[in-house]
Amino acid sequence: MMSGRALLSRSAPWLACLGLLGVWQIGALVLNTDSFPTAWEAVRAIPSILGDKESLINILASLRRMAIGFGVGVMFSIPLGLMMGRSRGVASFFNPLLMVIYPVPKAALMPIIMLWLGVGDVAKTLVIFLGVSLPVIYHSFQGAKAVEEKMLWSGAAMGLSAAQRMIRIVLPAALPEILTGCRTGLVLALITMVTSEMIARQSGAGNILFNALDMGQYDTVYAMIIIIGAMGIGLDAAFEKMRGRLVKWSEPGFDIPLSFA
Amino acid sequence: MNLRAATTDVLLGIVPIALLIALWQAISSFGYAPPALLPPPGIVFLRLVQQLLTSTFQQEIAATLFRLFAGFSIAVILGVTIGLAAAASPAINAVVRPIVRVLAPLPKVALYPALLLLLGFGHQSKIMLVAADALFPILLSTYYGASMVEQKLIWSAMAAGTPRGQILFKVVLPAAVPSILTGCRIGLVISCIVVFLAEMITSTDGLGHVLVTAARTFQAVDMFVPLITISLLGLILNGLLEGLRTYLLRGFPEV
Repeated sequence: MMSGRALLSRSAPWLACLGLLGVWQIGALVLNTDSFPTAWEAVRAIPSILGDKESLINILASLRRMAIGFGVGVMFSIPLGLMMGRSRGVASFFNPLLMVIYPVPKAALMPIIMLWLGVGDVAKTLVIFLGVSLPVIYHSFQGAKAVEEKMLWSGAAMGLSAAQRMIRIVLPAALPEILTGCRTGLVLALITMVTSEMIARQSGAGNILFNALDMGQYDTVYAMIIIIGAMGIGLDAAFEKMRGRLVKWSEPGFDIPLSFA
Repeated sequence: MNLRAATTDVLLGIVPIALLIALWQAISSFGYAPPALLPPPGIVFLRLVQQLLTSTFQQEIAATLFRLFAGFSIAVILGVTIGLAAAASPAINAVVRPIVRVLAPLPKVALYPALLLLLGFGHQSKIMLVAADALFPILLSTYYGASMVEQKLIWSAMAAGTPRGQILFKVVLPAAVPSILTGCRIGLVISCIVVFLAEMITSTDGLGHVLVTAARTFQAVDMFVPLITISLLGLILNGLLEGLRTYLLRGFPEV
């Protein structure tokens, strides 16, 4: 009985996927218009996109930019967030600036950055970097702020320098929170990537999507939506697995990420 | 926090913004960047003030704000309702949970072409995109807020004779308000961002459209104006929500 229930809870996301595709299928059959193909037609168009060499290269190039932007963003944001969390001065120095930047859509900076850096990889990677940074900084900040003072005092009493305390006490203690930030950042990296490609319309997954829309290849449009959606869900699930290993000792606060653009 | 510390904080906070503007001014006045690429800050802010006074620009802001509020309101209504329902009933929770798990990490912007095809190029598709993006943070924080409500509060309400059906509205909902407002805050910022992006991708009006038009004609000054406007709008809306929060949460122990 117990294993049956465990099986059910493990397969629940898959059932939900199937259910959503089912709703889509029925909706499309009821509406019956050209611009809304059935789920089955969209799924059938996926192999032809992934089989096409050019679109595959485009999608892989998008993913590479995303990985670089995410990596650099995390490397930059975690130290900054931790320092903000441990020092009031640093926090009040950066907080207002971050508050001003927060509501600016990062992908909207694309046209300006393209003006400066050209349409190449650098501009797109920079935009992804900007998109990833804020949530990671914010969560590292929160995590570092919540570290127990007593642990730091005992560390200091045992002769750890400020830098050592940061790496050996604050970083591990804030790790669960940092990883929550990274998870949001990962989904955001994907969103920023797709959006910037939709705006710049040069190459990449977002461009394939809108080219297909312009040319009226509706099954390709919906197939790309499924591919991008699957990337989001897949990346998130993979990260969650890794996170579970790294911070087994901590209870996840939010087990569903807060994703946004 | 005493007044003096607060003043120091504010002053410290202004420094990086001032530095950034000074750096911006320095780069353009020492000629490292031609004004066509990076116009000096003075000109940009002057243009911002000029634009804010023209009725065409005000209409663009109004279009953006309308979509933002419509989408955000839908997200709040749906998010709070579904979140409360999922927290109150295990059966609804069993259905909602896996669906949310799948839909939350999905990049909603990818759905935008589908929304365009289904709802057309007008307000509706943008409002739906904003609602879809803002929904999940509000739903999740409502759910967590409502499921964290102390059992003692519910027991005391029942002991005091509150009918079962009213517990949800008289105990659980008020107790979850702080968490709901946190979700609304995230949702509001997301709404700002998403409405702007949707207008950039396809639109005939709104702030995002202003940016795209400026970019097509390489008018760098006009590209900065809508970006600064949306940042200001975000700050103002955030301030309003903060005010609402202090009003709604007066009398709560600590928030």
